[in-house]
Amino acid sequence: MKSEKDIFESIGKASFGVPEGYFNDLKGRLESIPERGKVLPGPWSRVKPFLAMAASFAAILFIGNSVLRHTASSQPEEQSMNESSYAEMISLTHPEAFMNALEYEGEDMTEEDIINYLIESGMSMEYLAYSGDQKN
Amino acid sequence: MTDREIIDLYKAGQQERAFREIVDSYSERLYWHVRRFLCSHEDTDDLLQDIFIKIWSALPSFRGDSQLYTWLYRIATNETLNFLNKQKVRSALQFESLSSKLEEKIDEDPWFNGDSMQRLLMKAIQKLPEKQRLVFTMRWFDDLSYEDISEILNTSVGALKASYHFATEKIKSFLEKYSE
Repeated sequence: MKSEKDIFESIGKASFGVPEGYFNDLKGRLESIPERGKVLPGPWSRVKPFLAMAASFAAILFIGNSVLRHTASSQPEEQSMNESSYAEMISLTHPEAFMNALEYEGEDMTEEDIINYLIESGMSMEYLAYSGDQKN
Repeated sequence: MTDREIIDLYKAGQQERAFREIVDSYSERLYWHVRRFLCSHEDTDDLLQDIFIKIWSALPSFRGDSQLYTWLYRIATNETLNFLNKQKVRSALQFESLSSKLEEKIDEDPWFNGDSMQRLLMKAIQKLPEKQRLVFTMRWFDDLSYEDISEILNTSVGALKASYHFATEKIKSFLEKYSE
């Protein structure tokens, strides 16, 4: 019977390749980092905290809305509820903030912003999967 | 140039030259380290830029308590795990698993030049839990000692040996199941 070492050694290690001359090009680019670091931070780093805040609103809306939509479909009498009523139902969100966020929805909001918010907020995979199920 | 000489160069005020020496000595090793986790040349190339930017900005805080190369590996590993965590969330939002996405990348990678068993081995590694994947890759591919891995991952040698053992068992059974 083959030992662990024999099995892996018979398979071998090398399996990935790179374009020709890649490492010389890479070293050139990496060595210029200190030079590039002297450039002042761009506008993105100044805007980033505000975008993160906006993304957090959108994420709460997205998850809250998914849950509410599911609830509404099983209870027809609640279908006539307007946005103000939804706002009252979400304890996490201040009603006024909810309405403001509704007006904001769609502006400068990318999937990347939402993903970054979800990661930074430490949301678990289980919760994401749960909200996904609610959506379906 | 040895790690000690690089550090001395940095302390002597020649920061940029010391950084160039780090790039010269470690860029290729760290490229392969990251590539085995990300399974894509393009992703690795992008992430490596971020890793070396981090190394450059963190160099002033390197106190020399650990070896230079384990410190570099730690930064590269942490950045790689952060990247993979983002990929994991992205995959979850699309109702896919990260391991199946990484397996797809292995199949689609135009720079993969291994045979069918090597492809299977890489896929088996993607299925391992994070800690086992880290230990197996560092031990088998990077030839790092348990002591060095322990310093990089901040885990005891005993726990690492156990993780490596479980990883090899899982890989072996995966290879037996899927190889013809």
